[in-house]
Amino acid sequence: MYFQIQDLNVYYRAIHALQGISLTVNKGEIVALIGGNGAGKSSTLNSISGVVDITSGSITYQDENITGRATDQIVRKGLVQVPEGRHIFPKMTVQENLEMGAFLKNDKAQIQRDMERVFDLFPRMKERRNQPGGTLSGGEQQMLAIGRGLMGDPDLMLLDEPSMGLSPILVEQIFDIIVDINSQGTSILLVEQNAQMALAVADRGYVLETGEIVLTGSGLDLLNDPKVRAAYLGGDSDASESGSGAYYF
Amino acid sequence: MKNTSAVAVRKGVLTAIILIFLQLINMTAALGAMLEKMITSAKSVKSVSPLFYGVIVALVAFFIAFSFIRSLYRPGKPKPTPLYCLGESLVIGLVSGVLIAALNALISTLNANGVKIRTYLDMMAPDAIKTAAFGREIPVMIGIYLALTIAGALLGGLIAWIIKSTGQPANAWAALQRAIAENHTIRFIRRNKIVRILVIIAILIFVFALPFILSPYGISILGLVLIYAVLGLGLNLIVGLSGQLVFGFVAFYAIGAYTFALLTAPKPLGLEFSFPIAFLVALAISGLSGVIVGLPIMNLRGDYLAIVTLGFAEIIRSLVNSNLLADFTGGPQGIKDIGQPRQPGFIESLIGKPMPENIYFLYVIMIFFAVTLYIVYRLQYSRVGRSWEAMREDETVAQACGVATSYYKVLAVIIGAVIAGAAGALYASRNTYIGPGDFVFMVSVNSLAVIVVGGMGSIPGALIGAFIIKGVPELLRDLENYRMVVFGVLLIAMMIIRPEGLLPIRRKKIYAEPDKDLEILKKELKP
Repeated sequence: MYFQIQDLNVYYRAIHALQGISLTVNKGEIVALIGGNGAGKSSTLNSISGVVDITSGSITYQDENITGRATDQIVRKGLVQVPEGRHIFPKMTVQENLEMGAFLKNDKAQIQRDMERVFDLFPRMKERRNQPGGTLSGGEQQMLAIGRGLMGDPDLMLLDEPSMGLSPILVEQIFDIIVDINSQGTSILLVEQNAQMALAVADRGYVLETGEIVLTGSGLDLLNDPKVRAAYLGGDSDASESGSGAYYF
Repeated sequence: MKNTSAVAVRKGVLTAIILIFLQLINMTAALGAMLEKMITSAKSVKSVSPLFYGVIVALVAFFIAFSFIRSLYRPGKPKPTPLYCLGESLVIGLVSGVLIAALNALISTLNANGVKIRTYLDMMAPDAIKTAAFGREIPVMIGIYLALTIAGALLGGLIAWIIKSTGQPANAWAALQRAIAENHTIRFIRRNKIVRILVIIAILIFVFALPFILSPYGISILGLVLIYAVLGLGLNLIVGLSGQLVFGFVAFYAIGAYTFALLTAPKPLGLEFSFPIAFLVALAISGLSGVIVGLPIMNLRGDYLAIVTLGFAEIIRSLVNSNLLADFTGGPQGIKDIGQPRQPGFIESLIGKPMPENIYFLYVIMIFFAVTLYIVYRLQYSRVGRSWEAMREDETVAQACGVATSYYKVLAVIIGAVIAGAAGALYASRNTYIGPGDFVFMVSVNSLAVIVVGGMGSIPGALIGAFIIKGVPELLRDLENYRMVVFGVLLIAMMIIRPEGLLPIRRKKIYAEPDKDLEILKKELKP
């Protein structure tokens, strides 16, 4: 199994945030994790990355149990998270931000090649590489955050709400890039509130509700599921019209 | 236009308020005396002459009018006519002159009628009142004040108008920069390696000669400034680079100083180790204290961290101050006869006689400062420094990038503690006496001020900051009681003009060109 979570439980003091979650990601897949506020989406990602302490359950990645490992050990294995809300280093230049993404890499030629790849994906980053990250626009910052994640040469990328706070056109661009990255061989676990877009690009999806997985299926199935449509896609109105960005919950 | 005149009246009142306050704390006289001393190069000025007293009054009006007229030139607004500028300046001078003259008329009249002004206004001794009245009768005095403020304000307005309408200083500045950029001599110095090395050697010779040029007083001040610069460099690693707000930096300084003192002093422990050994042990112990503090605070951020470290510093101070431990730490009486480094023999054989103690010690401090500078510089521009900066900018993402944040946080505290401990040991050795009074909270505040004034995270900033925090108050000694007032105003002004510090950290812009480098790499990798 490429990546698997089994019966994951996370408590924040008395709050039972994740209540026995199990999910899998196969090599080369895009898997979407959707759900409302407080459903436990980010907690799931954070417990995978080792930022949040796990109460019980196990996480396996490339046939290795990584439960409870230190964050930097997990990143070293090619499991890279792009945190929610962009979080770039505002005073560092674009290039320095990208270099930070390759913090655990020692092969300079490889870092150069990765940077070239990021610049190919985001030509805008190349234009602005000497500019402090904080002076970029919101969309550019998101691109920088994703680019920085790519610099770690991830095998499985955890994307936390890449569409947050972006205009519909930018959301489409970001999702195009996600598909692009995936087609270059990186598996992706995508957390999104924009269920419409996420399910449209995902091979499979999981629906989280108050710390539990309530539904699972292929992206298309979930998109057409009446319950999902009712809960997250604004009823059965024109849900098939993609990319309008109107379907947040 | 009418509106701006109202502003001019307000500025006049502001000028008067400044003048009145300066007079009531008798600072006008002090500033005048300082000016007189500077210009006439007299050794000391007992009471300021009316001329210089008047110059100070006029200068206040000058600056207010100057900044007001300058502020009239805003982009998008019509340029004021010269006549209008002069009119506004006249208003400022008139209003402030009338008000300050009225105050002095009142005080003089009361004084003449036998009221003891001093009971109400502490600084207004009869002498001071006479000085403020220029030793003249009231009508003459009023005339003098009006003439002074109006002349000052008119001059200020005129100069502001000349500057703004001709754009001279801005042009001159640009021209100067252009000249520097185009000037072949300067470019030659900057580009040519040999010349650059020669310039560096010249600077080194100057620095090397400095202890012989300075007076004993200057030597002592420079030593203190350098010790604070070292403290600043250490704190810079923790606060400026790794972004942890450690407030009790004095704790490490104290631990270094006390370790060194206890190891070398004859009392209370009687160990009397030699300088190098005691110094190394002091470094080790302060590093250890860094571990002890660093580990529990690993997960604290911001204010909480500040409070915990503050508490730690107070614990250390209370411990060394307590009578319980007096047999061990000397208690409130402190430790005396702390050991000093012995001069190596070659100095005596080189210059024929032993070097004076204070000069020799300044060299020790200089060498130590240089070593710290080198270490800190290498750290900042290394992988470690980059990870500290990343943590400061955003801890979450630093973690997501694979920075082991806990490790690097504690590392920053430990290295900072070692540097502070070394500064403390030097301080103890230099003074040969330390007591609990040397390690009060103000030391932490000052070392924080050093890096805030100099610029967070900036290495040259720490040196400049130390000079300003520890050196400038000494330069202001002439102002006597007003020293700290002026110093405070300077600090405020500095933070308004340069909020990021005097020498804020600059991002290096020398970057590899990814395309070019990739081309080169491809070529290299081919065979």
